[in-house]
Amino acid sequence: MTHLTIKTNSEDHHIAKLTALAIGLHMIEAVIPSPLPGVKPGVANIVTLFVLYKYGFATAAWVSLLRVFASSLLLGQFLSPTFVLSLSGALLSLAALFFAQYLPKKYFSAISLSIFAAFAHIAGQLIIVWLWLIPHTGVVYLIPIFVLAALVFGLINGLVAAKLINK
Amino acid sequence: MRLLLLLFLSFILASCSKPEPLYNSQSYVFGTLVDITIYGESEAYAHELSSHLMRDFQSLHNRLHAWRPSEISTLNRAFAKGKTPVHIKPDLAAIIKHATAYSLKSDGSFNPSIGGLIRAWGFHHDEFKPIKIDKEKLNSLVKANPHMTDIVIEDGKIYSQNSAVQLDLGGYAKGYALDAAVVFLRKQGIKNALINIGGNIIALGKHGDKAWRVGIQHPRKPNAIATLDLPSGWAIGTSGDYQRYFDLDSKRYCHIINPATGYPVQGIQAVTVLIPPASNAGVLSDVTSKPIFIAKPEERVEAASKVGVENFMVIESSQKIYLSAALAKRITWLDKDAEKHATQY
Amino acid sequence: MQLNIKPLLGDWLVIFTGLVAVIFMFQQFWSTELASKLKIRQGSQIIGTYDLNQTRELHIHGAMGDSHISIAQGKVRFKQSPCNNQYCVHQGWLSRAGQVAICIPNQISLQLIGTKSSYDSLNY
Repeated sequence: MTHLTIKTNSEDHHIAKLTALAIGLHMIEAVIPSPLPGVKPGVANIVTLFVLYKYGFATAAWVSLLRVFASSLLLGQFLSPTFVLSLSGALLSLAALFFAQYLPKKYFSAISLSIFAAFAHIAGQLIIVWLWLIPHTGVVYLIPIFVLAALVFGLINGLVAAKLINK
Repeated sequence: MRLLLLLFLSFILASCSKPEPLYNSQSYVFGTLVDITIYGESEAYAHELSSHLMRDFQSLHNRLHAWRPSEISTLNRAFAKGKTPVHIKPDLAAIIKHATAYSLKSDGSFNPSIGGLIRAWGFHHDEFKPIKIDKEKLNSLVKANPHMTDIVIEDGKIYSQNSAVQLDLGGYAKGYALDAAVVFLRKQGIKNALINIGGNIIALGKHGDKAWRVGIQHPRKPNAIATLDLPSGWAIGTSGDYQRYFDLDSKRYCHIINPATGYPVQGIQAVTVLIPPASNAGVLSDVTSKPIFIAKPEERVEAASKVGVENFMVIESSQKIYLSAALAKRITWLDKDAEKHATQY
Repeated sequence: MQLNIKPLLGDWLVIFTGLVAVIFMFQQFWSTELASKLKIRQGSQIIGTYDLNQTRELHIHGAMGDSHISIAQGKVRFKQSPCNNQYCVHQGWLSRAGQVAICIPNQISLQLIGTKSSYDSLNY
């Protein structure tokens, strides 16, 4: 009988730890009540950015999506509206990062990428909200709040990520 | 970094809590509802100015009151007694002189000396009841033929050569108050305001970045029949048969009396005039609707041009609506039914 | 927190653009007009339109159970809801035109509607 062994190296271990961290951060945020509806600091995104810089886009995408699925399963929110919002946000966020990663590093740091990702994230969520949850003009009321949160948290997360990346 | 965050937060707060700087106050003065809107000033300042205006309006109302004790009633009593001159304040003298000029321009259609007739029809009260029509009395009042030109003003004193002259500035005072209000507000540095005295409106400046917009009351429905923009300095006035009137034997008797016949005009529901900027735009918006209201249908256009009005609209009881071409360009219909019945001169 | 990191040139550009976008969004979409009516939806259906000028309690049945809604002279709120996070209840009182409160788990939304008048004053 042949034994199939999957060899893992230290890089894999490191990525696994980061993924666990991302899931952990996501879940902590999930249970802390936020003052505004649907607005979260999204600190797990710091991990995504860190992974992007250290291990490349593919790995970052993997970590990010794994985080979304695992968290929702663990929180018992799989396939719930919260999960769908989280997923759509993550997908658009990754799409933005895919393009933004090619910006000249001389002028754009993780801060910019974080802000782009944040705006893309809320865009993805607003699309879901509009198509499914509040399919009427009431959505426009939420847009300013989401956009503000995206800028503020995108900036903060970006600063933290940049600091960690430069270490 | 911290500076950026601070700047950022202040930006948000500034744009976030930005209700329109629109101040509005309503009050029952001048015997009617007065509505003052001021844009772009602090609420405290707007309130102060608005209160001042309301007080001014009330005091003007008291001075010019047609049937309660006032400077006007004092003159009327003197006129009725004979030709002894009595003292008159300079601003009131100016009002009478201007009113006389308009009366002449309108060939006597606008005639604020027919207070006797107005009283006879029961309109010298706050509420109106059908009266018993005394044909003889009305005839004699008409025959007495009071005119503004019967009044003589010399050396700060006034008398009338015709004892039948009884001043009633009901068709003049509101407009006069509008003009005075604009002068006052301009002096106080106000750039944007909208003043509505009993339906007569004058505009100053704009509503933010768009012009002030007014609705025109439908004569028979509780809605606006149309809207139009009132650029800075423009005034609008409407004479209608739906506010001061009574119905008797299924006929409507409104407060617009034809001096030539002594009877209220019939067959017209409303006349609206739009006046371009002028120091007396307010007065014109009040005065000039009457001659058009009184004129025979075929003489309306001429009546309007005699008093210098280009923008006017007449709504007849037959539902037909006639507008001058100039007004037609400015009006936006709200009532589709009315729009169908509208034709241009 | 952010001691040694200086944003790069491009970063400043992105931050500034973001700021402009935020301000623009608030100015465009956040009304300051007081609402006069309330529209309640359950799922994709409109349950009803209610006048805000009254004091009234409503029980709306949603996907998870009954949400308890209070209308009080010009304002409205979710008083109680069967959801876990209670986001809807925490929104508190709404009173401005355009404001929305939703209970996603229970699929109930409250939307406030204003009466933007088509004119500033009435001539009569």
